[in-house]
Amino acid sequence: MLATLSIKLFIREIRSGYLTSMLLSLVLAVTIVSGISLFTDRLEKVLSSETKEFLGGDLKFESNEDAIKDSLKKLNLDKSKTSEMAVFASVIFSEEEMQLSSIKAVDNSYPLIGELELQNKSGTYKTKQNPDQGTLWIDERLKNLLSLEYGDNIYLGDATFVLAASIIYEPDRGSTNFAFAPKTIMNISDLAATNIIQPGSRVEYNYLFTGSEEEISLIRETLEENKNQGDDIESLSSDSSALGRTIDRSENFFLLGGLIAVLLSACTIGISSQRFARRHISYVAILKTLGMNQFQIRGLYLLLFFYTTLLTLFLGLSFGWVLQSNFISLMDSYFPTELPPPSFYPLLITCLTVLICQFGFIYPHISKLLDISPMRVLKNDITFNQNTLPIFIMGLFAFLFLLYVYTNQIALSLIIFTGVIFFSFIGIGSIYLLLGKKKLGLGAQDAVTLALSELRRRKLSNSFQIFAFTVAIGLSLITFSASKNLLGSWQDSIPDNSPNNFAINITKEDKDSMELFLSEKEIEINLFYPVANAQILRKNNEENIIDRNFNITWLEDLPEQNEVVKGIWFQNGTKNGISISDEISERYDLNLNDEVIIQMEDGSLETYIQSIRAVDWESFSPNFFVIGHPSLFEERSSTYITSFYIPKSKQKVAAELMREFRTVSVFSVEELIKQVRDIVNQVTKALNSILLLTCLSALFLAFSALQDGFDQRRHQSAILRTLGATGKLVKTSSLIEFSILGVVSGLLGSMIAHTGVYFIETKVFQTIPGFYPEIWVMGPIIGIVIVSGLCLYLVNGLMKQSPKELLSQ
Amino acid sequence: MILITKNLRKEVPSGETNLVILDDINFSLEEGKSLAITGPSGSGKSTLLGLLAGLDTATSGEILLDGIKINLLNEEERAILRKDKVGFVFQSFELLPSLTALENVMLPSELKSENDPQQRGEYFLDRVGLTDRKNHYPNQLSGGEQQRVAIARAFACSAKILFADEPTGNLDPRNGKLVSDLLFEVNSETDNALVIVTHDQDLASQCDKKIELKLGKIVD
Repeated sequence: MLATLSIKLFIREIRSGYLTSMLLSLVLAVTIVSGISLFTDRLEKVLSSETKEFLGGDLKFESNEDAIKDSLKKLNLDKSKTSEMAVFASVIFSEEEMQLSSIKAVDNSYPLIGELELQNKSGTYKTKQNPDQGTLWIDERLKNLLSLEYGDNIYLGDATFVLAASIIYEPDRGSTNFAFAPKTIMNISDLAATNIIQPGSRVEYNYLFTGSEEEISLIRETLEENKNQGDDIESLSSDSSALGRTIDRSENFFLLGGLIAVLLSACTIGISSQRFARRHISYVAILKTLGMNQFQIRGLYLLLFFYTTLLTLFLGLSFGWVLQSNFISLMDSYFPTELPPPSFYPLLITCLTVLICQFGFIYPHISKLLDISPMRVLKNDITFNQNTLPIFIMGLFAFLFLLYVYTNQIALSLIIFTGVIFFSFIGIGSIYLLLGKKKLGLGAQDAVTLALSELRRRKLSNSFQIFAFTVAIGLSLITFSASKNLLGSWQDSIPDNSPNNFAINITKEDKDSMELFLSEKEIEINLFYPVANAQILRKNNEENIIDRNFNITWLEDLPEQNEVVKGIWFQNGTKNGISISDEISERYDLNLNDEVIIQMEDGSLETYIQSIRAVDWESFSPNFFVIGHPSLFEERSSTYITSFYIPKSKQKVAAELMREFRTVSVFSVEELIKQVRDIVNQVTKALNSILLLTCLSALFLAFSALQDGFDQRRHQSAILRTLGATGKLVKTSSLIEFSILGVVSGLLGSMIAHTGVYFIETKVFQTIPGFYPEIWVMGPIIGIVIVSGLCLYLVNGLMKQSPKELLSQ
Repeated sequence: MILITKNLRKEVPSGETNLVILDDINFSLEEGKSLAITGPSGSGKSTLLGLLAGLDTATSGEILLDGIKINLLNEEERAILRKDKVGFVFQSFELLPSLTALENVMLPSELKSENDPQQRGEYFLDRVGLTDRKNHYPNQLSGGEQQRVAIARAFACSAKILFADEPTGNLDPRNGKLVSDLLFEVNSETDNALVIVTHDQDLASQCDKKIELKLGKIVD
């Protein structure tokens, strides 16, 4: 009986359209949640395998010596799961030419992950092997520079090799610090014969490991215990490539957009449920009068919501799948392989979201509905228990729980939650303070008096509306600003004509002639940054505080994409020190005015930390962890690094430059810039869809909140008009009232957005926070336009009906 | 004549055809007189009252209220007419729940922008014997008390004609008698015409004139 009745009720509710806003919000929430989580799940999987391939394994150990070998031997590692390589820079020779190259000597396990794509006389091929003894693989660019053909001899140190193939793709691209020079790969067994590695030679030994989580954790432990100063352990935790960061941050944005859309939908569902319950008071009273007990009625409504859930999941998951397919199709060309199928996690999080919405926002209203007395059938004025606080609190808990489910961070959830509540209370409090006590009468003399009187009279219900509008405007502005920040920072990082070539190892002698060479070719050149290798020691205990050597530069002006966050930049006439990046400051606990010793090849110098900078590492220009004032480094020897833009029409200049200046390494980032630009364009489309869906959720919320308010106003409007109030009076007073609510909500929304954006930029995207004055203009304007626009739509609906029709509803 | 109807007809769409609710309604009412409209449920009594009071529009025919052809007015003009010349009492009271008894009675005066709505409200509330309940909200009043507030509000309009739709329909006999007596008593103190829709023959018999509706037509 219950099942039949519940199906009838469900069909009736669907047909009547009263369930529409709740259903639409649920479907929208499920679409966004499933679409985004399916997409990010698949993206994460592919990024993880990409990162793994970029790193060359699950774990990588870098050292300037091979001392770790003995400790590793004790672990009895499976040889197929570990690989050793030596990486160094050296000059290689053909019969006629010579060129600096980044040499990678690899063992038989290479490559540990992925495969190489090579080219020889017969064409391109893929391999999972290392080069045969006595052969070399080199970059295509190097092959051209050395005027070599496949099968020609190449000379490296004391050994002679045969050029077997040129490298098109190598999996562990991030494996070396010398990667700027064209690459050569050789067999590690040939290394001794070259006699290149001598005591004091600058060699980097890389050890790559792959295996289960336990195995990797054991290896990491051993490495941590035995590592020396300057050794580095890298794991899969992050892909620091420009592309990786771009995708990583857009993924963060997708999740943020999803969270915001879900929160907005949840609020809409709460409001719709309240309306639903109000409409069902008489129905429940009649069912009770006819003898249905509480348990049966509860069952009836639970069944009704079970059908709603099924329908919502079916529609939402279908739309979600379409959404993620579109996102994937935008980006799949950037991944070498087909994207893996999603895991069960997206389905789980979608179902959990629906469940939280059902129990947090719908069930409390239904539960309250069940308390209605059957006497309602006889006495029409019997209604709910007026205390809505428990329902509101339950909704807030569900709101918090949703936040936690999506962020997985209690602290972050609490911060967002408290922020929203705090600003809403400020708004509600200010409404109470500004409007003061209600005056006698409705104030129906004119539109302004009536509007103000209504604001005073409906403080509580207006407060809920302000809460809803504030949440809708604030969260939409956060999404808008976050997307603008992302797009802005991407566009700033790769402006048109941004340098697409870098030149390093430029000697003092070459610097001027290279400048002349480039100006003759009409290539605009940027600053030449002096670069030297250095170590930092704390002055008081001479402890080496940075566990690896790093490049240091010195210059007078603060480079672009840098911002001093603590201290002051170098100033003339004072004793200047050094400026360090905020990462170094945090990682090594270095603070302003700390005294340090900079140890360089040609001696050391004492100085202090004068400023700490935030650096935008995503910019395609040389960036430095440590910058000193030139006066400190006047006599120091250094090489130079510079960057410049070579237009497509002058592509040959790079090769000519390398021929002219043999010791200078020139490398192109053109492909990387193109790849990042392309992906930014595609991601922008996906970002805009998320923004659109979020705004749609916000619009739903604003509309539901207004509609809820209008249910209560319908009766008043009918009576006022019956008593002779003109439509103009009712319309104008409503417009004034809701415009005020819109402006207040807009201002509060701006406050939330400003705080939220600051938090997101610094904590989630980890960028330099921006100031967005437009937020303060947009908030109130959106508030007034959307809220009064929707109000006008609803009032016009009321005006189309005669007072008699309205009274009989 | 305060009220004249000529060939009044009201149709409402019902599926693909139109349903005739009222047809060929012709009557008139002199100033200061009372009229009872009776008839079985569904005979069109309340629809007729709505048309007469300018709450709804007729399909055809003519209504003259205080000499004004209300069938030629638009909704805004009808609203002004209602404000100036018409008062209402409904079966379900139709008080605003967010206003106190006094504020509900003050409402017509506020809409007319009269000088002292509070004084006028208090006078009529006193006239219906509810001075001590003036600060109570409708849900704090009994049915009879709510209808007395509605009567006070109707007279506070200074209307030329008062329309009452089943004013005792929701009340027990004792309260019904109290309210109907009050209605006629206060009305007798003014020059208002009174139009009452009712099932109650006792109430109808107190009126100067009576028309009976059956299936949307006046029964002679």
